[in-house]
Amino acid sequence: MTGTTRDRATNLSLRIFGILVLLFLFAPLLVILVYSFNSGRLLGAWEGFGVNAYQTAFSSPDILHAVGVSLRSSVVATLFATLLGSALGVAIGVRTGTVVSVIVGVLALVLVTPEIVQAVSLMPWLTSLSVDWGIAPLNDGILRLAIGHSLFATAVVSFLVRGRVRALDPALTEAAEDLYASRWNSFRQILLPQLAPAIGAGALMAFTLSLDNTIISAFVQTTGNTPWPVYVLSSLRSGLRPELAAMAAVMLIATLALLALAAAVLARGGSASSTARALVGSE
Amino acid sequence: MSRMARTRTSGRGPRGSSTLLAVPGGIWMLVFFIVPILVVVWYSFGQKPGLYGTHDNSVLSLDRYGEALSGAFLLTFANTLQIAVIGTLICVLIAVPFSYWLAVKVTPKWRYVVLALVLVPYWTNFLIRTLGWQILLAPEGPVTVLLRQLGLVDAAFSMLYTKGAVQLGVVYNYLPLMILPIFVAMERLTPALREASKDLGAGRWGTFRQVTLPLAAPGIVGGVVLVFIPLMGDYITAQVLGGAKGNMVGQMIAGQFQQGQNWALGSAMSVTLILITLLSVVLVGAVGIVCGAILRARRRLPIERTAAAATAARTGTEVPA
Repeated sequence: MTGTTRDRATNLSLRIFGILVLLFLFAPLLVILVYSFNSGRLLGAWEGFGVNAYQTAFSSPDILHAVGVSLRSSVVATLFATLLGSALGVAIGVRTGTVVSVIVGVLALVLVTPEIVQAVSLMPWLTSLSVDWGIAPLNDGILRLAIGHSLFATAVVSFLVRGRVRALDPALTEAAEDLYASRWNSFRQILLPQLAPAIGAGALMAFTLSLDNTIISAFVQTTGNTPWPVYVLSSLRSGLRPELAAMAAVMLIATLALLALAAAVLARGGSASSTARALVGSE
Repeated sequence: MSRMARTRTSGRGPRGSSTLLAVPGGIWMLVFFIVPILVVVWYSFGQKPGLYGTHDNSVLSLDRYGEALSGAFLLTFANTLQIAVIGTLICVLIAVPFSYWLAVKVTPKWRYVVLALVLVPYWTNFLIRTLGWQILLAPEGPVTVLLRQLGLVDAAFSMLYTKGAVQLGVVYNYLPLMILPIFVAMERLTPALREASKDLGAGRWGTFRQVTLPLAAPGIVGGVVLVFIPLMGDYITAQVLGGAKGNMVGQMIAGQFQQGQNWALGSAMSVTLILITLLSVVLVGAVGIVCGAILRARRRLPIERTAAAATAARTGTEVPA
C-alpha cells in the first residue's frame, strides 16, 4: 500500500460506502425490533413504549398455532431435503455420465423455476393425488407444506454436498480400500465425516428457507394449517398489529442464536473462513 | 477443473452403489416437480369451461397463449421485466464496490464478521423485512418525517405504494444474494496478485479493470442469475410496498388460480414466465461468456494468466478458464 492521498481517499470512501450498505441492510430489521415495543394498537403508528405486544403475541392462539405449523413443517422439510439432497449430492459428485447430467439439469431447473410456478403446479397436483388417487397422507397440511418446501431446499443441499464431494482427496477413500475397509465402512468412516460440514450447512439452509417460504405455502396449505409467513401476509389486509413485530423479533433472535450455535459447531473442525464459505455454499 | 477430473478418473471409490443414492431424490423430483409442471403445460393448451369449472382439455389450442400475450398481461410483464432488470442492475452496482471493499480492504479478522452481518437480513423472514420498509416509508413513518423536516419533500410526499418503493424493496431483498457470489469470486484476489499486477506496471485502475473485474466476472454472472430469477417470480414485495401499483406477473398468475379460477390461462402465463426466465438465464450466460472471451483476448500476454495460476496453485483455488 502506498499511502498517497488518493489511495487514502479511495479507501475512506469505500469504507463509508460499505458501512452505509450495512446500515441499509439493517434498517428495516431495527425498525421491526423498535416497533415491537409499540404499545399502540396499530404497528405503524407509534404511541409509546411497552412490552404488551409480546404478552399479546404469546397469548394469541392464532399466532402460536401459525408459528407451530411453520416449525413442524420446516423440521419435516429439512429432513426430506437433507436426506434426499445429501444422497443426490454424493451420487452426482462421484459419478458422471448422461444420467448424472440429467439429474443436475433437473436440480438446476428447480433452482431457476420461479416459485409461483412451482406453487400453482403443486396445488392442483397434490389435490388430485389425494382426492383422485386416494393417497390420504397428502391431505395432511404439514406434509403438504413440507413437500412444497423440500424441492428448492433439496436442490440447494445437493449442490452443497456435490461441491464438497468433488473437493475431497480421492486418495483417502483409496487408502481406506487398501486397508481393507468395506465399502460401507469407507462411506461411514471416511466420506460421511468429511461431508458433515456441507450437510450441516445444507440442513441449516433448508430449515431457514422452509421457515421463510410464503408463496408455495399460500397455495399448498390446507384450512387450519396456515404457516406463519402466510398468516402475516393475510394480516396485511386486516391491519398490522404490534404483536406480529413482537413474534418476528423473537423468531429473529432465535434464528440468530441457532446460526451462532451452528457456526460454533461447524467451526470446531475448521477455520472461520471455511465455515463462512460452507454457509455461502462455495466449498 | 483439474480436481474434478482427478475424482472422475480415480477408478475406485464408492462408485458402484452411488447410482442407487440418486434414486429416492430422483423419484421425489419426478413426482413433485416434473410431473406437476408437465400437468400445468397440459392445462395451458385447454380452456376454462363455463363459470364454475377451472380447466378443460377436450379441445386443445394455443388460444390461451394468445390471450396471455395480449393486453393486461403483456403490460404487467413489461412492468415486471423493467423492475427485475433495473433491480438486478442496481444490485450489481452496489455489490461490486461493496464486495471489493469486503474482500480486499477489510482485514481478514473482520471480513467474516462483516459477511455474517450481510447474511443476517437474509436469514430473516423476507416478509417481515419488507414490512419494516413499509413502516419506514409510510406517510407518517421515520424516513418520510425526516425528509419532511429536512425540507426535502412537501407534506403530501409519501414513497409507500409507488414504483420507487417496489424498486427499493426488491433491491433490498435480493442484495445479499448478489454480494455473496461476487465476494467469493473476489476473495481469490490475493494481495500477491495485485502486487504482481503493480510490478508489471499496471495502475490502480488498470489492476481493477484487468485483474479484479475478470476474476469477479463469474461471481457477477452467478449473482445476476441468483437475483434475477426469484425477482421475476416475486410478487410479495411488490404487493406490500407497491399496493395497487405493484402488479407483477406472479400476482396475475396467482390471481388466475385463486380468484379467477381460470387454470388454463394461469397455466399459459406460467409457461410463458418459465420460458422467458430460462431465456434470460441463457442470455446472461452467453453475455458472460462473450465478455470473458473479449476480456481474455484483450489481455495480450500470458503473464497475467501465469501469475494467476501461480497464486491459485499456492492458495489451492481454481483458475477461472
